[in-house]
Amino acid sequence: MKQTKRLTLCALLTAIALTIFVAEAQIPPVVPVPGMKLGLANIVTVYAMFALGPGDTLMILLCRIFLGSLFAGGSTFLYSLAGGLLCYLSMLLFRKILTEKQLWVCGAIGAIFHNLGQMGAAILIARTPQLVLYLPVLLITGVIAGAFTGLGAQLLLARLGRRIP
Amino acid sequence: MTLKKTLSNRFWLILLGVIVAGSALAAWLLLSRVPTGSIAAIYLDGELVERIDLAAVTESYTRTYTGKSGITDVVEVARGKIRVKEADCPDQVCVHQGWIETGVVPVVCLPNALVIQIEDGSAEPEIDGAVG
Repeated sequence: MKQTKRLTLCALLTAIALTIFVAEAQIPPVVPVPGMKLGLANIVTVYAMFALGPGDTLMILLCRIFLGSLFAGGSTFLYSLAGGLLCYLSMLLFRKILTEKQLWVCGAIGAIFHNLGQMGAAILIARTPQLVLYLPVLLITGVIAGAFTGLGAQLLLARLGRRIP
Repeated sequence: MTLKKTLSNRFWLILLGVIVAGSALAAWLLLSRVPTGSIAAIYLDGELVERIDLAAVTESYTRTYTGKSGITDVVEVARGKIRVKEADCPDQVCVHQGWIETGVVPVVCLPNALVIQIEDGSAEPEIDGAVG
């Protein structure tokens, strides 16, 4: 029964993340910088990282990226994957030194590494090192947006608690 | 877990603040040294395919580029500026970017690996920018 409950929770979180991801993709870009976005789906990733642990989070993240690229068009898959995985690895590291009241930090750090991963993939794929010029602009918005999505996850965790089935 | 006690919210706030400030400084520095050239270099899949002297363009025209991905970009060239007019990629970021006139940020169509950059220097004489 416990396993079923856990699976259901993961599926539910994946569905929520996917919904947020698809909804966010409909918002027209304010600034025409590739890769700049709010990253609202990260709320689920940060929450899962602290509430469920790394294993389940990786599954949720990979499912969301794969399904998200199917819904939103496949061209962004590699960038999302590179960003998502690097973001995941950084969270894996930082969750050890962050308390449950510092999820906003986790969100911001995750955003930084997501941007770095995205940028790395874009430079490799387009073979254009000049793309790195976008990085400072991406980082400014990434850190701010990431801190707020992390804060969202923090509030969620405070309300729901660690419901590991 | 002694680290948990030492790294306060204040520490993280300052660290992130420094990162944002550093990025802002870097962005400002990058934006302040704008290349003055008028050569638009078009790269497809990482290779230079064309250099166009935008100052020498008298009448605007369009060019079509299809990369290895099979995605097609329609590039419009006008006097002193260049843009991606149409693209059959799903995200349309390059189209939304509109005209560029300076070398501050290149136009990038990531799905197609197309990059348009304005550079200093002159167009090679063997590539004729006046081809209509």
